[in-house]
Parts: sequence; structure tokens; C-alpha cells
Amino acid sequence: MLNKLALSGIKHRLRDYTVLFSGLMIASAIFYMFMSLATNQAFLSSNSPAAATSFIFGFGIVLLAIITIVYVNYANTFLLSMRQKEYGMFMMLGAKSSKISRMIFVETFAIGAISTLIGSAIGVLATGFVGRWLINLLDMKVKHFSSFYLPALLWTLLFFIVIFMFSAIRNSVSLRRTKVLTLLNRDSQPVKIKRNGVMKAVQALLGLILLAVGYFTMYFSGHNPGFIYLGIPIALVTIVAGTYFTINAFVTAIIVMLKRNTKYSQKGLNNFTLSQLSFRINDYTKILSMVSIMFALALGAITVGLGFNNQIDNVVNGQNYYDVQVTNPNATQEKNIKQLSIQKKDTYNFKSDGKAVYYRNSQFKSQPIGYANMNVDTMVFKLKKSSDPAKNSNAAYELMNTRLPKYRTMEAKFVSDTEYAAVKGQESTTVLIRTTSFKNNLPMIKQISKDEIKRFPELKNAGGDKYSAYTLVNGFFSGLEFMGFFLGIAFLAMLASCLMFKILSGANGDVKRYSMLYKIGTRQKVLRSTINKEIGVLFSVPAILGIIHVLIGLQLFVKLLYKPYTNIEIPFAIFLVLYLGYYFLTRYLYKKIVLK
Amino acid sequence: MQKIVDVQNVEKIYGKAGEKQFKALSDVNFEVKPGEFVGIMGASGSGKTTLLNILSTLDTPTSGQVEIAGEDITKLNNNQMADFRANKIGFIFQDFNLLENLTAYENIALPLALQNTAAKKIKPAVQSIAEKLGLTDILNHYPTELSGGQKQRVAAARALVHEPSIVFGDEPTGALDSKSARALLDTLTKINREDNVSILLVTHDPFSASFCDRILFIKDGEIGQELKKEENSRAEFYQEILDSLGTFAE
Repeated sequence: MLNKLALSGIKHRLRDYTVLFSGLMIASAIFYMFMSLATNQAFLSSNSPAAATSFIFGFGIVLLAIITIVYVNYANTFLLSMRQKEYGMFMMLGAKSSKISRMIFVETFAIGAISTLIGSAIGVLATGFVGRWLINLLDMKVKHFSSFYLPALLWTLLFFIVIFMFSAIRNSVSLRRTKVLTLLNRDSQPVKIKRNGVMKAVQALLGLILLAVGYFTMYFSGHNPGFIYLGIPIALVTIVAGTYFTINAFVTAIIVMLKRNTKYSQKGLNNFTLSQLSFRINDYTKILSMVSIMFALALGAITVGLGFNNQIDNVVNGQNYYDVQVTNPNATQEKNIKQLSIQKKDTYNFKSDGKAVYYRNSQFKSQPIGYANMNVDTMVFKLKKSSDPAKNSNAAYELMNTRLPKYRTMEAKFVSDTEYAAVKGQESTTVLIRTTSFKNNLPMIKQISKDEIKRFPELKNAGGDKYSAYTLVNGFFSGLEFMGFFLGIAFLAMLASCLMFKILSGANGDVKRYSMLYKIGTRQKVLRSTINKEIGVLFSVPAILGIIHVLIGLQLFVKLLYKPYTNIEIPFAIFLVLYLGYYFLTRYLYKKIVLK
Repeated sequence: MQKIVDVQNVEKIYGKAGEKQFKALSDVNFEVKPGEFVGIMGASGSGKTTLLNILSTLDTPTSGQVEIAGEDITKLNNNQMADFRANKIGFIFQDFNLLENLTAYENIALPLALQNTAAKKIKPAVQSIAEKLGLTDILNHYPTELSGGQKQRVAAARALVHEPSIVFGDEPTGALDSKSARALLDTLTKINREDNVSILLVTHDPFSASFCDRILFIKDGEIGQELKKEENSRAEFYQEILDSLGTFAE
């Protein structure tokens, strides 16, 4: 009978349970996604040149496991906050506490098991989907990637079963220990107020100092790579602690300041929002700090991942000046070339007598050859032109690679037009094109290069053109980029879900407040905007801190990556769009719970 | 003389047509004059909460007309209703309904802030009402630091601070001990007398009701008997209410 009642209780709160289930499913889906990469040794070793990858993923697993535990913990609190009143009522009506604790155990565990199973299945689908999406979007080459990976699935199931087992035990013990009256009235238990100005001021100062130390350490380690093994742990500790104190004290201080400004605070519901926030911050410090650190790590992973993408451009452009090179183009190739957006097109003729190749000086006078010159120390390349390749070894090297492999070993001679006419041998024409953008013209460049290989199969292994360099380098960096993106998105989804749950688990307690505000004449619109503001602040505090962490944290990579700050708006934009999605979802669900 | 509350032929039916319906109010008619202190008494389920919800625009009648301060509140849209509540009505609830994360001062100031009253006008208004209700010393306290009686006086101050046309009390003494209840009722009476504030009290407690000038008894959704205090003392009126309750309940 009681079981039936409990089940009907679930039916009545289907909406809340949907939130709970979907949250837990997201958690297990993400965990699986992550594990499908992290436990796939073949994938890791074939896609990353760095030995550190396994270590990074190991570190990632630990972090993700911690967040997942925290997350399930919040979800669990959410469940208890929904159920305790009902279970309290059963107990008041005479149900034995052992029976009740068994019921909550079964309920918690069943919810966990069902959501983990469905979540893992979603994880398999999502891994395939996100994987393909990223591979297409970023033109990546990824080997040994499979969306269904049995060990990952088993790990996910095992991990979640264990944590739900603990949650279930915890819930049943806590229900058994709590008095019936407390269960019935927990919602109306007053919030304790802590007021300790001096402590807060010390904390605010300490927080800023610790952050400054952490930031400086990152900057210093980035510029002095030898220091990095000491620098990273120092930065990690100081930034985590600094973030905590800053949120706990500094943000509170800002709220207090705003409250003192009566012109602002005594307008509409501002004071209410500020008070809600200052009460929340006390309660949320831990999660907000965690979220901002995770935010930084996730955004950092994506940014660095994309940094590797920039690396591709840099390396490729440093190899060749010209995007396309064709020998004796046929009609199809000529037609394809016309479709490129051309910045510079040079045509050179050469003859070969079997020992050397002969170019006409006059052709280089009229159309100087371009070449890329990479500075090995700074990894920065410069584009230059030369009208006398005979005296410029870099230009001569670029020119050599434009010839078919059989001519590359021959000596290149630059002669006058009359001397050229006297040379007996077969003449070839080399057409070289630099487009306005290699990336934008990539599909056509790929086509032309393929046709060229079809005509001259020996080019397949010899390469020499920009497209083959691109394929090589892309394969090398794509794995890293893919991991960065994958890690980043997985972390983001997790941390944002965590924050969402923390906020939603407090929503039931807010119902009364909002209903009171409604009764005394607050318009629905004002109530909604108050909620938007409140949740907006809770989302933006960790985001702002996280962004600052990343911007400064990239200093760690200044020696490792080519211009780590280039195109930084792309990962930031991707990240913020996803994060905003969570914000909108949270405030939607929150309003569903709080407003009638 | 103008009426503050004018209720005519109000009917409230729950449940859709064709389904099982329940008539919570039927043909309710009454009025409240400015400065009157009126009580509505009835047992649980008699319809008094439904009536209060309709009067305070939290619910709409199925048919009939309700005018408050000259405005027909049954024709308002949601925003107008909210504004109406914010401007014209003061509420005192049984369970105080104070926001525990705001201080007493901030709780009292809330209705003014909602009306976007200028900040410099808020302070004197709050202080004046706080003085009247003896709250000056506890303005900076949070609700959790206050006793039940103090909380309810803060709630009363919040209901009065924006000088509403009428104050609705929904069992305001329900959660108070007898001493605090008495103090609150005295305060309400004083404000009613001195400041001519109209008060409508919904209660099932004869003691609270005895502070009113006039009492309407509601039973099964209909207003039955009406009792006036007139020249009686409060104690006599109390006795009279008890007697009526005895006959009314049968």
C-alpha cells in the first residue's frame, strides 16, 4: 500500500522528476562520453604525439569523478527536498521508519539505475554525434574513435551504481535519523544569518592576493618553462583558494555596497534580489568556486584545442607560399583553378636535359617567386618574394618542391632567354597559385591536388604541395584538438548541470517567497525578471572569474603554442553559447517550479 | 457615502461545466464603508478564504461584481490586478509571510519599492509606521531574530506603509500567543480609529472578531447573519458573537 502511495507521489510530481531524471541522464551520458575517449588506449596513443595525454586524461577522470559525485549529491538533495514531506507524513500516519528508509533506498537506487542505463545509451549516441560533428566541423583526422566502447560503458555503469548505492544508503540513514516533525516542516526552517564583517574583509583581501599570486605564477611559468612543474601546482592551489575567498567575500561585499545604495536597492524588487543573492552566495560559495574553476579548465581545454588548430595553419603556411601547384595543367584543372579566389598566380617554364633543369631569369624578373620563411626559434613565418632564386636558397627550395619528384634532385640553373632557347629537352610549365585564403578554398584545392596526384602518381608519396603538408599536419594536431574540444564540452555540460541542480534544489523553498510577492502586488513580469537576474548573477559570477582565469592561464602556453590568443573569440563564443543554453534552461525550469 | 468595498451578487463555482461542480460562494452581497473595521466569520470550508481571495484579486468570481475604492476589480487584467494589489490593498497573513532574507525595515519598505517610490520618501514613510507600531528598535533585525508578535507587527507595518484603501487580514492572530494576539488587535483597532484605515478581517476566532465594528457570518458560501457592535463594550460584543456562533452553527 505504502509503495503504491509513494509511486502515486511520483506521478504527481512528474515534472520535478523529469528534471531529476534528465539531469542524472546527462551526468551519466557525459561520463560515458568522457570514458569512451579516456579508456580507449588505442585512440589516445594513435591520436596524440604527446606522452602527457594519458596523464591529462587521468587527471580529467579524477576531476570528472569528483564533479559527478558532487552533482549526484545535489540531485540527491533535490530528491530528498521533494520527498521528505511525503515520507514524513507516512511516518506520522504510523509507517515504521525502517519501512520508510527501505522505500527511500529503493527509490533512490531505482532512479539512479534507470537514469544511468538510459543515460549511457544517450552517451553512446551523443559520442557518435558529437564526434562526427567535431570531425566534420574542424576537418579532423581521428583514428580508432568509436562511439560504442564496452570498457567505457562498464566503467560508467560501475561508477554510477557505486555512487547511487552510497546515496541510497545516505538517504535512508538520514531519513531514519531525522525526527518526523523536522521532516514535515523542513521547508519552513529559518535560515541562520551570519554577520561577520571583519572576517569577510580579511577574506576578500586574501582572495584577491591569492588570485594575484596564482596569476603571476602562471605568467611566470609560461615564460620560464623550467618552472612549470612547480608553477602549475602553486597556481592550482592559490587560484582555487583565491576563487573561493573572492566569491565568498568579495562578491558579498559588492552586494552589500549595492544594498547600501538606496537609490538602486529600494527600487522595485532590487533589494529582494540582492538579499536572495547574498543569502545564496553563503550557501553557494563552494559550488560557485568549483564551477568557476571547472569553467576555466573546460574553456581552457577548448581554447588550447583550438590553439592546435591555429598551429596547423601556422605550420602549413610556413611550409609553402603557394596553395596550389600544378604541372602542365589540363583543361579540367584550368577550369578548377579559375574557381579559386586568386591572390597571386605565377607561371614558370623549365626545360630539363636529364642532368639539370633550366629556368628563364626573365620570368622571375617579371613575376618574382614567393616563398615562406619560418623562423625556427619563434615559430613565426614570414612571406617574402624573390626575383633571383639563384641567390636565394629559401626561394630555390620552394621552387624545387614545385617540380615533379624526378626533377627535384637535379640542379636548377637560371639562364637568359637565348640560352634557354638553346637548351634541348622537354619543357614543362609550372602553375603556382596563392589564394586569398587557404582555408576558404580548401575544397577546390583538395580537388585540384587530387587530380594532380591522379596524373602523376609519384606525387602521392613525395608531396611537396601545401595540401599534402596540410593533410600531414592536420592528422598530427587533430587528435589533440579533438580531445580538447571533447574534454571542454564534457566538463562544461557537467559543471553547468551541477549549477543548475544546485539552483533548482533551492527552488522549492522559494515558492512561498514568490507567492507572497505575487500576493502583495508584484507583476508576473517583474517576478520573472527578478528570477532572471538572480540566476543570471549566479551563472555569471563563475563565468567571469573563469574567463579571467583562462585569459591569464593561456600565458602558460605562450612558449608552447603559436600565438595562443589568436582567434580566441571562437572557443569563447562556442563555450558561451552552450553555457547560455544552460542558463536559459535553468531559469525556465526554475520558473516552472516557483511561479504558478 | 462612498463605499470602500461593494460586493454584489458574487458567485464562485469551482469545476468546469459538465463536470462535477462545487459552489463555494453563492449570491454574496455586502459593503464596507471607509474607516470601518469589518470581520468575516465562518468555519473551515465556509467560503471565507474564497471570498478573501476574490476581494484581493487573487481569484475571480464566476459571476457578480466587486468594487473596491470605486474600481470594478473583476474587469482587470493580470497586470492591472497586480498593480491594484500593490497600490490599494494591504495584506496581513496568518503565517506572517515575511521574507526572511530581508530585514524588518526592508520588508516594510517592499510595497513602496514595488511602486517605485523615490528612495528618499521611503525612509520617512517606513519610520513613521514603525514608530506607530513600536518597531523602531527592531528595524534592522531579520525576521528569524524576532518573536511571533513582532513579526506580525512588521507584517502589519508592511500592509499599512503604502496607505492602502483597505487592509485585509487573513487570520492574522492565528499563529500568535494570546498576549501578542491581543497587542496586535489593539494596534489594528488604534490604526482603524486614529487613521481611519478600513480593515477587513477574516477569522474563525471570536476573540479576534470582537474587535470589529461589524461581523458578517458566512456559512456554506452564503452570508447569513450580520452582527453590529454599536454601543456594546468589547466584552459584551464577544459574548454576543459566541451566542450567535452557537445558533449559526446549527
